[in-house]
Amino acid sequence: VEFRRVQEGGSMQIKINMKDLVSGLFLILLAVIGWYLNQDHNLGTARRMGPGYMPLMVFWIQMGLGILVTLAALFSGPDPTERWTGIDIGAFVGAIAVGWIVWRIAPMFGAFFAQTYNAVGLGIIAGFLVMAISPGWRVLAVICAAVALFGILLEKGGFFVALTATIVISAFADRGHRPLGVLLMTLFLLAMCWWVFINQLDIRVNIWPTS
Amino acid sequence: MELLLSNLAHGFGVALSLQNISFALLGALIGTAIGVLPGIGPVATISLLLPITFGLPATTAIIMLAGIYYGAQYGGSTTAILLNLPGEVSSVVTTLEGYKMARNGRAGAALATAALGSFFAGSIATILVAASGPLLTQIALSFGPADYFSLMLLGLIIACVLAQGSILKAIGMVVFGVALGLVGTDVQTGQQRFTFGIPELSDGIGFVPIAMGMFGIAEIILNLERPESRSVLKTTVGSLWLTKEEFKRATPSVLRGTVLGSALGILPGGGASLAAFGSYMMERKMSKGRDMFGQGAIEGVAGPEAANNAAAQTSFIPLLTLGIPSNAVMALMVGALIIQGIQPGPRMVEAQPDLFWGLIASMWIGNAMLLVINLPMIGMWVKLLQVPYKYLYPSILVFCCIGVYSLNNNVFDVYMTILFTVFGYLCAKLKMEPAPLLIGFVLGPMMEEHLRRAMLLSRGDALVFLQRPISATMLGIAAFALALMLLPNVRKGKDKALTE
Repeated sequence: VEFRRVQEGGSMQIKINMKDLVSGLFLILLAVIGWYLNQDHNLGTARRMGPGYMPLMVFWIQMGLGILVTLAALFSGPDPTERWTGIDIGAFVGAIAVGWIVWRIAPMFGAFFAQTYNAVGLGIIAGFLVMAISPGWRVLAVICAAVALFGILLEKGGFFVALTATIVISAFADRGHRPLGVLLMTLFLLAMCWWVFINQLDIRVNIWPTS
Repeated sequence: MELLLSNLAHGFGVALSLQNISFALLGALIGTAIGVLPGIGPVATISLLLPITFGLPATTAIIMLAGIYYGAQYGGSTTAILLNLPGEVSSVVTTLEGYKMARNGRAGAALATAALGSFFAGSIATILVAASGPLLTQIALSFGPADYFSLMLLGLIIACVLAQGSILKAIGMVVFGVALGLVGTDVQTGQQRFTFGIPELSDGIGFVPIAMGMFGIAEIILNLERPESRSVLKTTVGSLWLTKEEFKRATPSVLRGTVLGSALGILPGGGASLAAFGSYMMERKMSKGRDMFGQGAIEGVAGPEAANNAAAQTSFIPLLTLGIPSNAVMALMVGALIIQGIQPGPRMVEAQPDLFWGLIASMWIGNAMLLVINLPMIGMWVKLLQVPYKYLYPSILVFCCIGVYSLNNNVFDVYMTILFTVFGYLCAKLKMEPAPLLIGFVLGPMMEEHLRRAMLLSRGDALVFLQRPISATMLGIAAFALALMLLPNVRKGKDKALTE
C-alpha cells in the first residue's frame, strides 16, 4: 500500500501542467484584484445597471474560469514552465526593489524627475537594468529598458537623442552586434525616422534638446 | 444588381483618386514586406501604423491598413516557398508543399501559383463582400440591443473555440480583455472605474499600447530569445511560368480554396490562418494529386494560398456590416475607425458610402497591384530576406516607440506599452493566446452598453436574451460550439488541424 501511494504520487506530479496551473492562478489573481477594486462602484439593479454591475459579472466569470483552468491543469500535463535559476530570482526581486526605491526617491534628484511620469520612467529603467544582470532576463530587460529610455529622453532630450539611446541600448539584446554595425545602423535609422516622422508626417516633438 | 454596379462605380471613383491609390500601393508594399519578413506580422504592423493614419482621411487610412493585411498574405508565401519558413502564420502550410516544389526546381511555379491563386481568390471574395454587405446590413438594422449582445458573445466564443491550445485559457483571456476594456469613465454615470486616479486612464486603456506591447515588442523579445535559424537562400527562383499540367492541377484547388476561405473568413474568430489550414487538410483528402503530397504537390500550395487571401477579404464582412471584429486584425480596424470618429456598425454602409465602397474597390485594385509587386519584382523581396534580424528589430522598436508616443503626444503611453510588453511576454511563456484578449478588449465596452440597454428595455428580465429569436439563435450556436469542443474527438481533430 505504501509503495503504491508513492507511485501514484509520482505519476500525479508528472501529470501536472505547470503552464496551465500558473495561468489559472494568474487569472484568479487578476480577477480577485479586479473584484476588490470594483467594491467602490455602485452595482445598481439588473434593470438599471450601475458602473459596478458588468465588472462584477466579468470578474466572477474570470474567477470561475481561472478555477477551471487550475483544476484541469492537474490532469493535462506534463508541461513544465521554464526553470528559474538563483540569479533569475535574485535579479527579479532586486529589480522590483531597486525600481520601487528609485521611483520613490527620484523626485529628490531634481525638478525634472518631479514632472509628469519621469520618476516612473527612471524607476522602470533602473529596475530593468538590474534585471538584465541575469542572462535569463537579459533580452526582455534590455528591450524594455530601451523603450523606457525613449520615454524619459524624448521630451527633454529631443527626437534624435532619444532615438540614439534606444537604438544603442536595444543593440545589447543581440550578442551578434558589433560597434561599427551599430553605428551605421543608428545613422541609417536616424535618417529614416527623420524622413518618415518629421519630414513626411510632421509629428509634434522636440527635435533637439531643450533647456 | 444595378444599384450594386452603380455603388461599385462610385467605389472605384473613390479608390482611384490619386491619394487613395497611392496609399493602397503603400499598404500593399508594406504588407508584402512584413509578409516576407518572418517575425513581424500584420497585427504588429497595423498597430504600429495606426497613429500615423490619424492625419489621413478615414477612407484612405482604412484602405492602407487593409492593404497591409491582404498584402501580408501574398508576401508570406514567398518566404514559405523559398526558405521553408512561414513569413506569416497563415502561410505555415505553404511551407509543406511549396518548399518541396522549390527543392524540385519549381520555386518559380510555386510562387506564381501562390500569387495567381491569391489574386483569383481575392477578386472573388471582394465581389462577395460587395454583394453581401448591403444585404447583411439590412438584416443587422433589425437587431435590438439584446441581439447585438448575443452576437458579440457568439463572436467571442467562436474566437476562443478556434484559438490554438486550451479553450478555457482562451476564454479566460477574452474575459480579461473585456475587463481591461471597462477601465476608464463609465459612459452612463461618468464614474471613474479602475483608473487609480491617473488622468490618462479616464479615456480607457489605449488600444495601441496593448496591441503594440503584446504583438509588437513582446514578439521581438521572443524572436531574439530563439536562436536564429534562418537558412541561407540556396534555391533559385527559376521560371515563373506554369506548365500546362501544373495549371490543370492547380485550378480546382484554387476554386475549392476560394470557397472554403471565403466561408471561414466570415466566421467570427476565423481569418486567414484558419482558412489556409482548412484548405490544406481538404486538398490532402480530396485533390487528385493527394498521393503526391509530401513531394511538392502544387495543390498544397494553390489551395491554402487561395484560401488565406479569400479569408483575408471576407473577414471584413462582419466588421463592415455588423461592426464586429472577427479576428485581431479586424479588432485593430475597429480601433482605426474609432480614432477617425466612425462607429463601426450596420449604419456605416449608408452613412459612409465612400468608405465602404471605396474600400471594396480598393481591395480589387490592391490585389491587382500585389500581383505585379509579387511576381515580376520577386527578386527585390528575396534581397529583403537577406537583411539579418539583428538590424531589423531595432527599426521595429523605434517605430513602435515613436508610433505610441505620437498617438497622444504623451509618454504615459510609452510606459503602458512596456507594461503590456511584459504581460505579453508572460502570456507567451504560459501559452496564453493574446489575440482573444484583444478582441475581448474591443468588444467589452460595446457589450456592456448593449447589455445595459437590453436590460433596461426588458425591465430587468434576463430572459429577453432567449425570447428574441435572433438572440436565442446566436446563444444556441455559441452553446453548441462550446459543447462540441468538450467532445474529446472534436478537440483532438482541431488541435491536429491547427498544429500540423
